[in-house]
Order: sequence, then C-alpha cells, then structure tokens
Amino acid sequence: MYNVDAYIKSLTSNAVKLSKKVQDGIVENTRDLRFENQAHFLDTNEDKMREIRKNLDSRYEKEKLDGLKRLIAMISKGRDVSEFFPDVVKNVASNSLEVRKLVYIYILRYAEQEQDLALLSINTFQKDLSDKNQLIRAMALRVMSGIRVPVISPIVMLGIKKCVTDLSPYVRKIAAHAIPKCYQLDPAQKDALMDIISTMLGDNSTFTIGSVLMAFNQVCPDRMDLIHPQYRKLCKMLVDMDEWGQITAMDLLLRYSRTQFLNPIGKSTAQPVSRTKKEKSVVKSFYSDDDSDISHHSSDSESDESEEENNSVDPDLAYLLKCALPLLQSRNSQVVLSVAKLYMHLAPAEDSYKIGRPLVRLLRTHREIQYVVLNNIVAIASQRPYVFDQFYQHFFVRSTDPVFIRNLKLDILTLIATESNITFILRELQEYVKSSNKGFVTQAIEAIGHCASNIPEMAESCLGGLLKLSYSKSDSVAAQSVVAIRRLLQQRPGDSVFMITQLTKALDEITEPLARANIFWLVGQYSSQLQTIAPDVLRKAAKTFATESESSKLQILTLGGKLVALEGTTSKTVSLLFQYVLNMARYDLDYGVRDRARFLRALVYGKQKVASATVDQDSDENDHENGQQESESTDQDAHDDDEGFEYSEKELNLSDHIKAILLSEKAAPVQENPSHGREQYKVGSMSLVLNRVVAGYEALPDWPKVQPDPSVRRLAATMEAPGYMNDRTGFGSDSAYAKSRQGQDSGPAGGKGRYDGQAGAYRGAETLDKFLESSDEETSSDEEDDSEEEETSDEEETSDEEVETSEEESGSGEEDEDDEEEEEEEEEEASSSEEEAILPAKRANGRRG
Amino acid sequence: MIESLFVLSPTGKVIIEKHWHELIPRRVVDFFNDQVSKAMAEGEDVTREDVLPIIASPKYQLINVYRDGLTYLSPVTKEVDPMMVFEFLHRIPDIMQEYFGQVSETVIKENFVTVYQLLEEMMDDGFPLTTEPNSLKEIVPAPNILNKVITTMGATTSVSTRKMPNGMSNLPWRKAGVKYNSNEIFFDIVEEIDAIVDSTGKAVSCEAHGTIQTNSRLSGMPDLTLSFVNPRLVDDCSFHQSVRFNKWESDKVLSFVPPDGHFRLMSYRVNLPSQQNLPIQVKPSINIGANGAKFDITVSLRNTDGKAVENVVLTLPLHKSTSTLTAQCNVGQYMFDPVGKVLRWDVGKIVPRERAPVLSGSFGFGSASSEAAANAGYNIGVEFLINSHSLSGLKVDVLKLFNESYKPYKGVRTMTKAGRYQVRA
Repeated sequence: MYNVDAYIKSLTSNAVKLSKKVQDGIVENTRDLRFENQAHFLDTNEDKMREIRKNLDSRYEKEKLDGLKRLIAMISKGRDVSEFFPDVVKNVASNSLEVRKLVYIYILRYAEQEQDLALLSINTFQKDLSDKNQLIRAMALRVMSGIRVPVISPIVMLGIKKCVTDLSPYVRKIAAHAIPKCYQLDPAQKDALMDIISTMLGDNSTFTIGSVLMAFNQVCPDRMDLIHPQYRKLCKMLVDMDEWGQITAMDLLLRYSRTQFLNPIGKSTAQPVSRTKKEKSVVKSFYSDDDSDISHHSSDSESDESEEENNSVDPDLAYLLKCALPLLQSRNSQVVLSVAKLYMHLAPAEDSYKIGRPLVRLLRTHREIQYVVLNNIVAIASQRPYVFDQFYQHFFVRSTDPVFIRNLKLDILTLIATESNITFILRELQEYVKSSNKGFVTQAIEAIGHCASNIPEMAESCLGGLLKLSYSKSDSVAAQSVVAIRRLLQQRPGDSVFMITQLTKALDEITEPLARANIFWLVGQYSSQLQTIAPDVLRKAAKTFATESESSKLQILTLGGKLVALEGTTSKTVSLLFQYVLNMARYDLDYGVRDRARFLRALVYGKQKVASATVDQDSDENDHENGQQESESTDQDAHDDDEGFEYSEKELNLSDHIKAILLSEKAAPVQENPSHGREQYKVGSMSLVLNRVVAGYEALPDWPKVQPDPSVRRLAATMEAPGYMNDRTGFGSDSAYAKSRQGQDSGPAGGKGRYDGQAGAYRGAETLDKFLESSDEETSSDEEDDSEEEETSDEEETSDEEVETSEEESGSGEEDEDDEEEEEEEEEEASSSEEEAILPAKRANGRRG
Repeated sequence: MIESLFVLSPTGKVIIEKHWHELIPRRVVDFFNDQVSKAMAEGEDVTREDVLPIIASPKYQLINVYRDGLTYLSPVTKEVDPMMVFEFLHRIPDIMQEYFGQVSETVIKENFVTVYQLLEEMMDDGFPLTTEPNSLKEIVPAPNILNKVITTMGATTSVSTRKMPNGMSNLPWRKAGVKYNSNEIFFDIVEEIDAIVDSTGKAVSCEAHGTIQTNSRLSGMPDLTLSFVNPRLVDDCSFHQSVRFNKWESDKVLSFVPPDGHFRLMSYRVNLPSQQNLPIQVKPSINIGANGAKFDITVSLRNTDGKAVENVVLTLPLHKSTSTLTAQCNVGQYMFDPVGKVLRWDVGKIVPRERAPVLSGSFGFGSASSEAAANAGYNIGVEFLINSHSLSGLKVDVLKLFNESYKPYKGVRTMTKAGRYQVRA
C-alpha cells in the first residue's frame, strides 16, 4: 500500500516536474520568438560582453551565432572588439553557413589589426576554394582577397588563378574582383595580374565581363592594346551586361575611343560660338567645344588644325554608339548618364539630341539624382543648348524644390532660352519673383537679365519685364531689377535712352538705395544722349540729397560732375546745381561722400579756383581718391576711374581731361554665370558637379591627330569565335531570347562554343601583345603626349609649340608602325590557324578534369 | 569607388557602419552633422532637404542621401561618378524595403545582422557586386516567420554549408526552381500627373509619368510577351533589366523573363496635350490686403470618365508671418498648422455632378514683415487618386507565355494619381 502510494506520489511529482519543464521550455522559446528581432543584441552591458567569449566557444551553433551577433552589434556601435579575434577565427571552419558569414564580416573588419591571427584562417579558405558549391568557392576567394595582409598576396594570387578558369561565371566574377585587391596588396604582382586580365578579357559571359573591365580600369587602365581584339565584342555585349558592368565598360570604351579614333565631332565648318544664334536645327555647323581641355579662346586655331581632318565617323566608333543607344532606357540613372557621356565626348554634335529626353526623364527621381543630372545638363546645355531647348517646361521650378535644385533649374532656363520658348520662360521667371525666398527672387531677376543678353532679339521684352518689376512694391525686387537693367543697358547702348527715361520717371517711387544709385549712374553715363532729362534728374536729386543713402549720394555727385564736364561751364543752372550738391556733400557725415565731393570739386573747377601750382597736389589726392572710391562704390561693376590715365606727367592739367576721366566708355560688365566652367570636365564626374578638380580626376585623353591603325580591331574580330553568343546570360538580347526558347540548359554545345570563343580571343590578345612589343616606342611616345595634355589642361592654355612637336613625334611613329604592322599581320594569320586547332582541345580537356 | 557607408538616425547617430575598403574614422560623421546643422541654421525656411547632397570636407567628399528621415552617408576620397554612388545608396533602402517591408531606424536595428550581410554582398571592395533582390535572396535569406520559428525552436537548421543552394540561375534577376501552385501575375499601371497650373487655370507644364509595377508569381522560367493596345502613346520609357530593348524598338512589345515577386517592369512618360486632360480643377483666389487676406478655393471635376476622385487633399503653405486663420468649407475638413504655417484641406472623395467643394476664409499677418507677406505668391499642392482610370489611356492587350506549359492568370489594375501637382494662386 505504502509502496503504491509512494509510487503514485513520485509519479505525480514527476509529472508535475515534466509539465513544468515543458511549460518552461515553451515560455523560454516563445520569449525568444518574440525577441527574434535582433535589436536586443544591441544592448551591451559588461555581463553580456563576458558571455560573448563563452558563446563563441560553445558547442551549440545557436550560442555561437548569439556571440557573433553581439560582436557585430558592438562594431556597429563603434566599439573596438578586436580582442575577440582569436575566439572568432576558430569558428571560420564552422559547418553552419550562417556562422561563417558572420565570422567573415568580423574578420574583414579586423584582419588588418590582427595580421598574424588572420593568417590562421587562410588554410580554411584555401580548402574552400575547391568546394563543390560555387557560392562557397566564391565566398572563400572574396574573403581571402579582402584580408588586407600583404604577406598572403601570393596565396591570393594562386586563388585567383584557380578561380579564373572556374566553370561558374559567378566565381569568375569574384576572381575578377579579387584582382585589384591583390594589386593593392602587392603592386609587384602587376605583370602577373595583367596576364590574368588579358586572359579574362576573352571571357564571354556577360555576368563576368563587367568585373574584368573594372579590374582592367584599376590595374592597367592604359593597356589599350589589350582591348583591341575585344573591342567589337565588348560593344556587342554592352547591352547584356549587368548595370554596374555597363557603367565600367562605357567608361573604358570612352577612353579607348578617345585614343583610337579621329575626332568625329564636326569641327571643320566651325563658326564662332555664340549662343545667341538660332542654332536649333543647323547643328552641323555648330561648333562643338566638347573637348574638355580646350578653352573657348583657342577654338579658332583648333578648328584650323582640324580643317583637313576627315569628318566621317569611324565605323567602329559608330558601332559603339549604336550599341550604347538602347541603354538610354536603363532604369539605372548612372547608365543613362554614361551613355550621355559617350555621346557628348565621342559622337558628332548632331547626334547629341538623342540624350536630351532620357536625361530629362531622370528628373523624376530622387532629389540627389536630380541634383547630379541638373548639373550635367547645365554643362551640356552651355555647349549644346539645342539638346534641351524643347524641354524647357521640365525645368520650371516647383515651390517644393530644394534650394540647390531651384538654382540649377534657373541656370538651365537661361541657357536654353531661344526665340521660340523665351516668352514662356520669361513669363515663368516673372512668376518666381513672387517667391518669399529673397535669394531665389534675386536669382530669378538675374536670370531674366541673362536671357536678354543671350538673345538680343528678345532683349526688349526682357527689359520691359524688368522695368515692370522695378516698380515692384518689394524693395529688393525693384533694386535687383534696376541693377539687371543697368547691366543690360551697358551691353546694349542703343536702347538706353528710352529705358533710362522710363526709369527716371519711376525715380520718385523707387526707394531702394541700390536701385536709385544705379539710376543716377545710368543717367550720368548716358547724359550726352539725355540732355533734356539729365539736368532735371540732378535738380530732383539735389532736392532730396540730404535724405539719400551714401551710395546714392556718391552717384549724385558723380552725375553732377559728369553733367558739368559735358556742358562745360556754359550752362549756369547745371553748374549751380552741382555746386549746391558739392556744398551739401561737404558737410556730410560720411567721409567717403566728403572725399568724393572734394575730389570732384578739384577736378571740375580746378582750373578756375586752384592755382596751377597745386595741380600736383591734386593728382596725388586723385590717386588717393581712386583707392578710396574703389573700396566705397559697392556693387558697382564699372568704376568711375580711368585706368589708362597717366598721372606721372607733372605738367598735366587735369581739368582738360575731365571728359576723358569722367565720361569714358565703361566696359560692359561680363555676365557671370556661376555654372560657367563646368563644361571643361567629363560629363558625369564629381569634378563637374563641384566645378573644381577633385583629387583623382583624370581628364579625357585628347583625340589622336593621326588615325591609329584601325585594322587592329578587325584582326581580332575575324578570329572571333562564332560560339560566344551561346553563352550569354541574356540580359534582354535577342540571343538570350533565342536561348530561353531553347530551354534552360543549352547543353554541351553552348559550353563548348564559349570555350572556342575564349580561346580565339585569348589568342588574339597574345599575338597582339607580340605585335605591340615591336611598336612599343610608338605607344610610349603616345602616352607621353597624353600625360602632357592632361597636365596642361588645368591651365587652360596649351602652348602651341608643345602640341606641334609632340604631334610630329607621334606622326612619325605612326608611319613606322604602319609598315611593321603589315608584316605582322601576315605572320599572325599563319600562327593563328595553328593555335586554333590546339587550344580548344586543351580547353576541353581542362573542362573534363 | 564607394569606400564606406554610415547610416545615420534622424538625430545624426550612427546606426550602421560598414567599410568596404579602408576604415574611415567615425569623426567624419561629426563633421557631417556639424555641416548639416550649420546649413540648416542659415535661414528659417531651410530644411534638411535643402542640404547639398555632396558636402566637401578637408579630406573627403561627403556624399549623402536623405530618405525617410535616415541619412546614408558615404565619404569618398577620390573622383568617382557621383550618380553611381547615389544610385547605389538609394538601392540600399530599396532592398531593405524588399526584405523588411519598411525602412526606419527601429527596423534596421531589429534586423541589423541581416543588413550587414546584405551590405557585404551588395558591394565588394568599393564596387557594386550583387544588387538584384532575387539574387540576394538566394545568398542572404529574408527574415520570414518560418525561419524565425525554426531558429527559435532551437532546431539548428540554419543552412549547413553542404545544403546551400548551388543553382544560381543564369539570369541574375531570377531565382532558379521557383514553384507556385497557382500561377498568377499582376500588373499595376500607375500614372502620376505632374503639373504646374497658373492662376487662370491654364497648365504651364503638364505631363504624365506611368509605371508598371508587377508582382510575378509564376513557376519555372516563364518567358512573357506583353503587348499594348496603343503603345504609341508612350513617349519615353525605361525598363527593368529583364526587358529586351530590341523587341520594344522593333515591335513595341515587352518581352521579358520576369523576376520573382515585386518589381517595376517599366516606367514611361506621356506628353499630354495641355489643358483638357487634367481631371481636376482647383480655382484659388486670394485677395491680399495690408494686414491679411481673404481667400476661397474651389475644386471641380473635369474629364474623369465619370469616375469619382478620391483622397483629395489640398495644402497651402502660408507666409511665415501669418498669425491667424479662419475658414469654412462645405466638404471635408481643414486644419491649420500654426507652427509650420500650412493650411491643409482634406476634401476626401468627390463624386461627379455633385456640388463643388469650396473652402473660404481669411488669414491675418502678424505685425512683423507684413509688407513682404503682402507680395508673396502662393502655391497649392494637390493630391488625389482615381481608381481604374488611366490618364493616358494606355491599355494592356495580351500576355503571351512561352517556355512553360501552364496558363497564367493575368491581373491588370490601373490608377491615376497626382504626382507633383501644383496650382499657383
């Protein structure tokens, strides 16, 4: 009985225990479930830190993962957790992929600090390189090459060599990515790496090729000879590459084309640039100042030089442009911009209209991307405004646009204004003046001024618009408009009389000091044509003189001086008025005004009132005054001093020269466009956006003066194996289309085809190497030429002599090469047919093994 | 080369820090935060959005993307095509959206390990590597309920190295071995109208941007051809990587092997003949006096094919010196935000041939700077949505399937929305 009792008791207690245990387990697990969001790892107190080491040594994967996650959380909090390196590195061979991935993230972060310990992991990676799974192989190489420990560069090298021939395009891609990393570890490996690159250039997988080109750009960007045999293939594959590969490829092909083709950008019929012309449809005659390193001023000599040049586009270049065209429809904005870059720097000017619409499309995306696109449009439009003039509506400013977008849009609107769209643009600009943002208003008004000076035919309506604005109730608007009018009038003296008359009528209503000062100056400057009004303006000004601002006072004084100088002392009224003003100024609070009055008095009345002996003194004072005046006259583009005037002559009587001093023609102010200068940079570059040279910026190579041998490309193209088309991963090409119809695995035929292709291309590269060895001299002189050009490009002025001599050099080199080249070609063909037989066989063997 | 990435919280704290090349010290973030606050202190109406996307520091160019309150900061040392950096930086939140359903500081913190894994795969030594969501999902598994349950139940089923999927498909954007019981594909044609309308009701600029958002749930490797009734309407377009350019050029059909799941198949632009195509008209009149203004805004429908317009919202930012506002409306409700000085009118749904919604009232300026306020212009932002209506009239014709034997279900929806739609008063 007791026994049974005890038994039952123990049974129940066990059952309770069990159920409790189960319950606990469930609670535990559900708590975990709730917390599976990884945020709790971010909570890092010291206890948890101690646990990490224990976790990492645990036998259980889950605990290891916990430890690793906590470590990564630490890294992301900015804590140095390199002390755990030995514990982490132990787990590098873990069976769990998840553990390994986290270990990799950790190792890559700290390998540089813990070089010796990092070496412990290498063994595992080497083993993984032979793994059956392509992702494991790829990952091993990626991490190994990413460990920035120079000692292991030979091992990385081996790894790359192994993976280059891998069957998986993904692994080959990773191998290509490892090349520049290896190069950075140990630059001495350059030659070996270049060999690998030249082999890989023959790869016909669209998946891989982009990364190979990236490696090429990083390691040996100047070895254009390696590209020759692949050029046409690359053009053809362009559309099928992945988006980042397309960007790299276009970058490379741009540089290639700039060294291998003659300039097709129509220059021979160049006319002097002036945006003011209705340039829209006559694009052929449009002088395209596309070259990044040729300034506007040297354009004439440049066009003379290229007079003899043949303007037709090289078929190979045309092929590239044709292949790139569909990419304008890519969803990747950089791809679109890269095509635009090709078209701007390589294509004849009449083709550039093709890039307008796609670039405008990018304005619908994120504001950062808009920012870059707009900057580039500014640069393009300043050279070829006709690309964008029909899209003017897209550059209208929305009230929600960020400041930097607004300003760029205004710039563009002024650049692309033509006779046909100016009315719309003008109406729009006048709308902006209503904005509550002062800076924006100022810029909008300036933009109207820019438009007027760009299109003389429209200047009148622009001026009319500005005049209306100058009556604006808002002081700043009025002031800005008067300033803009003043600038315009200086450029177009013909209109001035009417406009100034209008302005003086408004003088009573305009209160802004800056605006008034500008009107006074205008009246004074053009007083010879305003003989009826000018004295009256002076009369009015004299009345209000005491209440005027300093800058206005200065200008009233000058106005008076000019009037007196103009009419001599014949007109008594004017003279009296002027003296009245002078007297007022004499007691002015501002010393600048007093100084100016004293100076003008001495200048105008010097002869009558001052003895000729004191003229010396006066001219000294004059010097002084000039300095003074310069610092005083704010926002006045044209100073009232005459630089050509010589003070050194002691006997000089200044008053004889009053007219020359006061009424000399003032040079029209140069319209300063803030975006000016961008066009000298490569389209799409950061330097262009920032409008200054950024470290690492490389200008485009100059077009060659003499046609380099075009047959280098044909040579390889004829040997191009027909098979490579079969191995496309098919990014939307017809071949891919055909392939997907065929079914998933195109089978051994496709694979074999690829190797044929690879072999063929490989052979091409090798023989070309040989061929180029002989003409090494030539290429080196070419390179020198390029570097020279690059250096001088910043200074904007290339000395003509230098260019000529280098041209001669390269010219003579070219001839030599031509002769040799013919011989080589024959040899080449003979040897190639032999190799053709051998290589595919070899490859096939390798594949089986 | 894109060397490093910092993801910053709205308060400027580092949430994620990733270096693909050399380490860039964290103090660059402090410098950046200083510059941002300096820029924002410049004027009262300068917002975070006005901060330049490229800021120069003595050593780096600080390329930054501001999106949904988060800053993606990438300091670069050397010349690089900035567009590529921006494009890449924008891909990061795109991918996170795809993985986690939304992007915010908390979401990133909750999934930070996955984020690090993604960043590791997306970039290799400063060059973009795998950015296709479909390929990424093969390498970095997306968090889903099933995975969570399995891992928490202690069954260590995390993929062992042996079990890892070996078959990367040869189309980078499509997974291999996709299988569905019912094969369906949905196309959402969404058109947005961008317009600037002047005070007389005339459109100064007007165009429609359409996108075709697709959700593909098809097995195997389907090869689709989608044709339109009226493809000539499309003026300029861009495609998903999978679309064959040549086919569009020659036959104006979309021929593609779709990625699995959501993706944007195509975006296009339609140039609208001005005026008559706008579905909605907003007529504002604002009479400004010395100390305030009277206004009334009328909304009326036009040209909507008899469909109702939904979610109509009007926002009118007022001058900073505005102090008081009184108004009344016959439909919906209005709200005045006295801090941001924005009047927001939630009109709601407008059914054709019902009375037109009107909002009228007056506002007054505070004492300071009333003169400037009197001259300021006003812009009304307009939002609306019309279901099963396509402004351009673009229509899907047929969907043909090759390469697979099943018959897919095809769903097409259309919608017209206001994009950047602005009315000047």
